[in-house]
Amino acid sequence: MTIKKIQGCIGCGTCVQTCPTDVIRQDPETDKAFIKYSADCQMCHLCRLYCPEDAITINAEKSIPVIISWG
Amino acid sequence: MTLAGGAIGFAGLTAAGFGPGNAFAGSTTANLPEINPDKLSAKTIETEVLVVGSGIAGVFAAVKAHDAGAKVLIVSKGRPGASGLTPFARGIFAYDPSTAKMSIDEYVASVSHSALGTNNPIFTRQMAKHSLERVKELKSWGFFDSNLFAESFEKPISERNIPVIERVMLTQLVKEKGKIAGAAGFSFEDGTVYFLKAKSVVLCTGAGGFKPSGFPVCELTHDGSIMAYRIGAKITGKEWNDGHIGNMDRPASVYDQWKREIERKPTVNKVDIRHDLGVGQNYLAYTKGPQHEKPSRPMAKDAITEGGPYRPSGFEKFAPPPSEGYGKKGDHTPPGMGGIPSGGASAGMSIHKSEGLVPYNEKGASNILGLYAAGDALGSHMSGGIYTQMGSSLVGSAVQGGISGAAAAAYIKGKTIAAISDVQQRQIRKKILAPLNRKRGYSPAWVTQTLQGIMIPNFVLYIKKESIMNAALAYVEELRDHHAPMLRAADLHELRLAHETANMIINAEMKLRSSIMRKESRCSHFRLDYPTMDTKNWNAWINIYKGSDGSMKLEKQPFNSWPA
Repeated sequence: MTIKKIQGCIGCGTCVQTCPTDVIRQDPETDKAFIKYSADCQMCHLCRLYCPEDAITINAEKSIPVIISWG
Repeated sequence: MTLAGGAIGFAGLTAAGFGPGNAFAGSTTANLPEINPDKLSAKTIETEVLVVGSGIAGVFAAVKAHDAGAKVLIVSKGRPGASGLTPFARGIFAYDPSTAKMSIDEYVASVSHSALGTNNPIFTRQMAKHSLERVKELKSWGFFDSNLFAESFEKPISERNIPVIERVMLTQLVKEKGKIAGAAGFSFEDGTVYFLKAKSVVLCTGAGGFKPSGFPVCELTHDGSIMAYRIGAKITGKEWNDGHIGNMDRPASVYDQWKREIERKPTVNKVDIRHDLGVGQNYLAYTKGPQHEKPSRPMAKDAITEGGPYRPSGFEKFAPPPSEGYGKKGDHTPPGMGGIPSGGASAGMSIHKSEGLVPYNEKGASNILGLYAAGDALGSHMSGGIYTQMGSSLVGSAVQGGISGAAAAAYIKGKTIAAISDVQQRQIRKKILAPLNRKRGYSPAWVTQTLQGIMIPNFVLYIKKESIMNAALAYVEELRDHHAPMLRAADLHELRLAHETANMIINAEMKLRSSIMRKESRCSHFRLDYPTMDTKNWNAWINIYKGSDGSMKLEKQPFNSWPA
């Protein structure tokens, strides 16, 4: 887990704009932010700090990737 | 295949990439194509000065270029105030002649003493001389009123109506008849391919790393300096290492390491010269093994280690962090550190301001006409091969950004915008979108992870010796020649990762080649096989450039000189 959940999103897009590693995207149908690329989250919390609604919860845990021979 | 799981948890001291994997925590999914590259639109924009990057260097470059009369455009992978390393820095240095206890001459001499001569005193002096003006300007923007910088950076940009294009990664610089003609890249938001025609380009793209764990540098992959290298710019400073350590508890979480900084408002640092962020702790971990309990004073134990990195007189021991803004009294943990130390937090990054484009003058000009760089993208060696002045990293970028922006505005006078032919535009577009067009290929996540496994181990990146570096170089050359040309992207996010990965591979090659060449130990560059300083042969910086046959070449440039 990286960003755990986004609850109470008003669709302002600030978190999408703020994330340095492009983890969050806006769903074109619901117009709400969602976690699309969690593997690239560096857990810097800028999205949470900039969110005007305190809608983002972040977990400090991050799984260690499995090493495979090609991918 | 796309790897779920991402960055490596126990990077550095525990041989990254080969740590304890959890088969249940990771899973793989096929990266099926989601984008039709032929349908992506293109946009051409003309400007006079193109500023790439929107950290503190980019903002000052744009402001000063505008104020000097140029039409300016900012293009950034991120957002002003929330991109680069800037959002995580809180200490900013100002040399105030009315209160400083040493003259500016004494100050520069003291930095040079700590840096063992590796700094460029012209840039050290420039930083100190202009620091107070930049800090005052930042104060007028409201920079010191919040722990988040988007609002204060937005102020000078919107007051001047400077256009900003966010979430665009530039991957190509365009050169016409020896002069810079612009840049090209793509929006990872909507896929638009951008051609930006400009009379001058200022790279404020920061430095980068190997997307390590626990340091807020995963967005930065040396994009500016690598695209400049590809069109013939010279690059320096790659043998130095920022030896930032992380915390073995939650090693991948930037916030858990940096929250004390991220949560507070910026403060001004006074003269406070150090010899910090070297590789003393890495040497200790290499010779005695990593420690498994929290030291009472983590940095003090690092002070003098038999046979390890040399520390100059007066800097034998680590001084505690300055009182301004830091944690409770008696807490001697520097920013971003604490707990049980883990290595490689900032792996792939050199010392701030000491890697990047080789400056040809004090204004950040490169060897390509019209191409400038500032901040961590400029190899100014302002600090030297070791971190010297507390808070100079942030103000140094502000100072250099302002100076290079003004220089670019002066350069463009009488210049015209060069044409980029349709044929050339088609070739550039093809290059940018190539990873999207491959039917088969390697995922950027896997290639990055493999690169991390090769480069981040303590015995490769930090505690260096020739045999291991040659072995690592063989692996990196394989990634460069075989895997980089087959990087494949399923969508625009992966297209960005593919270009970032290719840049990181070149950075790895630069770091290894310059580290092999520098047969001595000094500041943050430590060689087990050449453990002492060699002032006879190595009072020189190493410049890297692309040879006429396309291979990477290296040359020495004596300290205290400009390139020939």
